[in-house]
Amino acid sequence: MTNLLSEIKDSAQLKNLFFRLLVVFIICFTLSFLTEAFFTVNNLLNVLRQASLLFLMASGVTLVILTAGIDLSIGANVGMSACLAAVVMTNTGSTLLGFLTGIGSGMLIGVGNGLLVTTLRLPSFIATYGMLWILHGVTYYFMGGATINGFDKSFRFIGSGYLYGVPVPIYIMLIFLVVGTLFTKDTVYGQQVYAVGANPVAARLSGVPVNRRLMLVYILSGMTAGLASLVYLARLNSAEGDIGEALTLPAIAAVLIGGTSLFGGIGTIFGTLIGALILTLVLNGMNILSIDGNWQALVTGVIIILSVLLDLVFRRKSSTG
Amino acid sequence: MNNVTLKSPRVQLGILFNCIPGVALMLFVCMISFAILSPDFLSLGNLKNVGVQSTILLMISLPMTLVIMTEGIDMSIGALLTFCGVVVAYVLANTHSLPLAIFVALMTGLIIGAMNGAIIVYFSMPPFVVTLGMLGICQSLALVLTDGQSITDVGETIGLSYNGIFLGIPIPIYIGILCYFVTYTLLYHTRFGTYVNAIGGNREALKLAGVKTNFYHVAVYAFSGLMAGLASILLTARMSAGHPTAAIGMEFDAIAAVIVGGTSFEKGNGWLFGTFLGVITVGVLRNGLNLVGVPSSVQVASIGLLVLVALLLDSFKSKT
Amino acid sequence: MQNNKLTLVLATAMTLIAGHAFADGEKIAVFTKNSTNPFFQAFRLGADSAAKQMNAAAVTHYVPTKPDSIPEQLSAIDDVVVKKPNAIVLIPVDYKAITPGVKKINEAGIPVINATDHSEGGSFVNFVGADDYSTALAAGKALVKALNGKGNVVIIEGVRGVLGNTNRVNGFKKAIEEAPEMKILTSQPGNYQRLQALQVMENLIQTYPKIDGVMTANDAMASGAIEALEGSNRKALVIGINGSKEAVESIKAGKMLASGDAAPFLQGCFSTMSAIRTLRKLPIPKEIIFPPMVVEKANLANYDTPPEKQVCPTWASVVK
Repeated sequence: MTNLLSEIKDSAQLKNLFFRLLVVFIICFTLSFLTEAFFTVNNLLNVLRQASLLFLMASGVTLVILTAGIDLSIGANVGMSACLAAVVMTNTGSTLLGFLTGIGSGMLIGVGNGLLVTTLRLPSFIATYGMLWILHGVTYYFMGGATINGFDKSFRFIGSGYLYGVPVPIYIMLIFLVVGTLFTKDTVYGQQVYAVGANPVAARLSGVPVNRRLMLVYILSGMTAGLASLVYLARLNSAEGDIGEALTLPAIAAVLIGGTSLFGGIGTIFGTLIGALILTLVLNGMNILSIDGNWQALVTGVIIILSVLLDLVFRRKSSTG
Repeated sequence: MNNVTLKSPRVQLGILFNCIPGVALMLFVCMISFAILSPDFLSLGNLKNVGVQSTILLMISLPMTLVIMTEGIDMSIGALLTFCGVVVAYVLANTHSLPLAIFVALMTGLIIGAMNGAIIVYFSMPPFVVTLGMLGICQSLALVLTDGQSITDVGETIGLSYNGIFLGIPIPIYIGILCYFVTYTLLYHTRFGTYVNAIGGNREALKLAGVKTNFYHVAVYAFSGLMAGLASILLTARMSAGHPTAAIGMEFDAIAAVIVGGTSFEKGNGWLFGTFLGVITVGVLRNGLNLVGVPSSVQVASIGLLVLVALLLDSFKSKT
Repeated sequence: MQNNKLTLVLATAMTLIAGHAFADGEKIAVFTKNSTNPFFQAFRLGADSAAKQMNAAAVTHYVPTKPDSIPEQLSAIDDVVVKKPNAIVLIPVDYKAITPGVKKINEAGIPVINATDHSEGGSFVNFVGADDYSTALAAGKALVKALNGKGNVVIIEGVRGVLGNTNRVNGFKKAIEEAPEMKILTSQPGNYQRLQALQVMENLIQTYPKIDGVMTANDAMASGAIEALEGSNRKALVIGINGSKEAVESIKAGKMLASGDAAPFLQGCFSTMSAIRTLRKLPIPKEIIFPPMVVEKANLANYDTPPEKQVCPTWASVVK
């Protein structure tokens, strides 16, 4: 715990976080200026809830990207885990079994990815890309294009419920943020993950069990996707084959916008949260401002480039001047 | 005494196996399997089809090889290809001048590719992020230019670039081969190519040696954009229309073909011919699965398996 | 020894795959746009049912692995033409860009039925369809009626650039145009995705204090919008398109007002029947158009059987 506190007090870290948040504030400020519908308690809670769904997926894949890898299968993982959990819940009536199925499925997929990358030494792009197609195919095959609807109120709580007026997913997001940050900053495992990403050869030479750590990050990525799938299921109240398909690129974008480098060794879970916030704010803003559908992809693309650019410019200015 | 060891046929086969890259083995296995499963597979007409269908993907996979060799990635190439295709159709529909349409498409591709490169190099930004952003920009531009519809008034001449036949061979195959040799020359016979090959190790050393690294680095993305512009002519010819979502998502196919072909993000080594084999293998697989009539969900899974198995074969070899 | 085992495994794998392809009777190739939209799933079920009923044929389905991919559909047509099925049923991904593909089929002399979207070019034996525009218009009118011609609505669209979406949105807009006291507050894309529609709806709820009606381009998005409304304790009448099982349940439960049904199962039945009848030299009309239907509480009884259990009506009962 003291490590964490001293990290926070470390001024360089604080500066980095500050600049990330600055980008978020700029966006919020602009939106508040453009429309009065934005800056209301309801809308802000709304944005936070949407961001937490994206963040749940993105938090796991942050760990993978920290090792200079990538996990393209997270979307398909969410789809398959959600469908499996749905099938189990409707056939057995047990929410607990559904939970276990969702998380278990996510974990197994993570194990699969991990094996491909560590034991079979495949590049992570290809391993997880291949896994993506296979998961899609299998999910479509056993769902047969059908949708499963209607889940228990108690289950739905984690996605659609409120606690003291705040949507539950936001609490889940905060838990993930704290756990994730503690893991990366405060545990040996976390430090080793960074080391593997920064320089796998040096890491191995200094005694880091590289393959075991790689396996760990893919399993964690898969598990968080499995957990995320349960929250999605609870939020949407239905399961179909292509949930999650459209979420892979935004999740990875959130990680990168948050300052994590594809080359590994640099990045934070909090950064990913910022990235998720930025993407969610953009969509929220576009809907509220009624921006024509044709232009929405461009607005998102420009904001992605600008936020990373601004962040880099701020950081460079602060380190030189 | 002579140390002559007679190698058994199995060992000889093993040595041969070791020398052939995974993608080539997969191609061989696919072709044999489909030849057995479908009487039409080996027909000349069908093989020509596979070649022609693969041309557009080949044309964007070749520059993608170079991009990946410089430790970068171009996520925007599918959307750029789509946008250029729309531009071709737009110019044709409004001016009926094919040369002008070709020129504008090439320029559009080149400029947007160069913009990618410039932002990546001069602002030191991650290629994935910049090209992802550019993907959205190109997607929107395509939708805005067409207002969501196809533009079909493209005339008859452009169709020749995709459907025309010269000396019994379809024109796209000539174009594909030409593009391959141009890329090959660029990569292995120019200073630019030397840079691209070397970057997988040490960008700093190159800078110190006085190489115009920034310029070459931008040029890699500009080349990518230029090829997208060229490929867009074939894309529009194929559909006799410009459509705003035609090639969205093709960048993943290109990246997969490049990596399956043996080029590696981490090691920076690239094999252009491997990319060519990767593209053909994907084309053969899709064609074969259609001929056999495999259900769509199995097709989707097969593509994943292909990608994994090809690289697995490579990784097995490096262990034995 | 190892070689024998390998051969055995390969042979078994190939036989399993091949089992799909060969069957007796007429061979019909059916092209649909994607594997995700329940419309096309129902269509495919209709096609299978018709083939079984007419004791005829083997139906092979061709669905792009990337949803709504025009190049993939064109490639599949190339491949299928080589295979030479007896007849083809074609739902074009894009009615304009498909023209070169239809021409190839015509040149090969294979009779082809056009379904769902009128292709702009090429020649067909007949057309079987109902169109997105009138279906959306009918559903929109139902909404207008339920709101007594007064109120504010929002539209949640599908994917920009996809023809079906453009037609549906235009149908919705026309329905509102015809009611002078109704207003469209905004039209935002949901990309046919349940989650995105949910989040878009949440954002719109924040923006507009009074929303009386929600028009969504498909049932999955309608479901997302309903979840958003319920979650925010807001009430609005929601309509969708597809008439899917989920929508029927939702209408029964009073959560959804109506869903436009373009009779995909029947379209599948009758387009395949037309194909088989052509081959058997039986008469068929130039066009079979199913009037758009709106699934509402009043007529739910007709929709109690899911498409998997439905059986095609006889030819004579529909075609006079």
